[in-house]
Amino acid sequence: MSTVRAYLFGFLDDDFFGRVVVVPTDQTVATLAAQLAAWGPTPERRGRVIVTDESGAVLDPAATVAEAGLVNGDIFTVTAGG
Amino acid sequence: MVLRRDDWLDLARKVDWTYRYVDERDVFPEALSGRPWLTHEAWQGWSEVYRTTYREYVANQRSKDDAVQGVRSVLGKAHVNEGLDPGWVQLVKFHNGALALAEYAGAVAELRMARFGRDSAWRTMATLGALDEIRHTQIPLQLGHDLLSLDGNFDWTHRAYHTDEWVIIAARHLFDDMFLAADAIDTAIQLNFVFETGFSNLQFMAMAAMADAADHHLFEKALASIQTDEARHAQIGHPVVRTLLENGAKERAQHLIDKMFWRSWRLLIPLTGTAMEYLTPVGARTRSFKEFMQEWVVEQFMKNLAEFDLERPWFWDLFLDELDHAHHSFQLGLYAYRTTLWFDIASPDRVERDWLATKYPGWEATYGPHWDRIEDCWRTHGEAATLAQALPALCNLCQLPTLFVRPGRNTACTLQVGERNYLFCSDPCRWIFSQEPARFAGHHSLVDRIVLGEAPGKLTDLHRWMGLDAPVETGKDLRRGLDPWRLQPVPTVS
Repeated sequence: MSTVRAYLFGFLDDDFFGRVVVVPTDQTVATLAAQLAAWGPTPERRGRVIVTDESGAVLDPAATVAEAGLVNGDIFTVTAGG
Repeated sequence: MVLRRDDWLDLARKVDWTYRYVDERDVFPEALSGRPWLTHEAWQGWSEVYRTTYREYVANQRSKDDAVQGVRSVLGKAHVNEGLDPGWVQLVKFHNGALALAEYAGAVAELRMARFGRDSAWRTMATLGALDEIRHTQIPLQLGHDLLSLDGNFDWTHRAYHTDEWVIIAARHLFDDMFLAADAIDTAIQLNFVFETGFSNLQFMAMAAMADAADHHLFEKALASIQTDEARHAQIGHPVVRTLLENGAKERAQHLIDKMFWRSWRLLIPLTGTAMEYLTPVGARTRSFKEFMQEWVVEQFMKNLAEFDLERPWFWDLFLDELDHAHHSFQLGLYAYRTTLWFDIASPDRVERDWLATKYPGWEATYGPHWDRIEDCWRTHGEAATLAQALPALCNLCQLPTLFVRPGRNTACTLQVGERNYLFCSDPCRWIFSQEPARFAGHHSLVDRIVLGEAPGKLTDLHRWMGLDAPVETGKDLRRGLDPWRLQPVPTVS
């Protein structure tokens, strides 16, 4: 079965603009956040993060991208803390 | 007996007549003349403040051209650009590429008004405006040609608008919306009233003052000369706004003003904001971008709106908030993606950082750590670690990266139209798109094109697609140049 991918727009709270992230929809939200952080201004940043969608709803880090309801063209934000 | 100027000028300006064999609506169709469609009776009062005859126009233009060419001649073509600050040279390259052929497109816009403007005085002014815009194309082309001996990338003065480089896609999208794909009324308000009256002062007058201080006297003379033309034909906008207001179309006028104010501001963030404060030598910075914006746009343009009892744009508070931050955030983005530009980008040195901290009290705390980090990357890992690793998310309206108002305050948002989500950098860009989705939805941003397979996703191929011959033509760190690794051939799988 081929992997379904989605292109999303990710924003890090310590960054200055958004980035395109293309991910398999069966990837977890936690991995998605880590992938974005690796491209950001502080890739070495560790610790808990909170991932939210455009409405501000907190996404379960263990959920897959598909389960979290993220589809092509959606925004997600990664914030330090929690 | 020869009539004196004032005896015949009004008659010559007003040569409208009543059509007997064709309907006025057919001569001036709404699609090209604009809406609201009004009979000529409503436009009869159209009048410009500063009236010009063709004879005066030609004499003045000749005199102005003589002045520019005189400076070029005195300085000597071979030596005209010697001693220029390296950052300033990049600023001129950016300016020339982004504006020279946009001015030529402006001639088309003026000619549309010269045919479809609703009063003959308007059409006469627009005819002179078209001649202005051709001149505004020729001057930077000549200056750019002179600069080719200094830097081959000055061929972007002519080439930029023939490419799909991403900054140019954004500029082209704006100017298409502002005047190339606009009727006469929309052009008069969007180009003449908003862009030329509100914003081009900043690009030409403020930049001319800086050019003088940067000892680029030919560029200063050229910019100041161009601005005198702009000031004349920009007056087309005022009587058009007035006519709309007198005929119950205030809402339409306000919409066009709000829309184009935001769109013009978006382009000025990189074109003027970053250029003034990261490419201009500190000694030539007569004032900060924010200070110029406050005088020329916040105060002067607001007086224009007050004259017509129009409201300031609904996103005013967001605009003011961005004045302190947006171009500084954008500079970080330009630096990270500098290999996709036709000019070099500077990281601010100590003196520049001190200047920025003086003009923007929060600058060091907000942006200092980012630039420190970039310096660390250069030291520890070289150039590769200072370049962006992923595609920027681009706004589907302004086509520019979805930059934050400031770090920690993100205004990006989406809008679903049909089956698709569109991304926007801000509420005003989403609002503009949502007012006319059929006008904008079919345009693919650079990211859309990559996702759809219309543009290559691999950066080395994308350079070529954007018209950039990497690494020779692509932007570098202004002071460091580029690492030797960028000169190595790209490995390929045989």
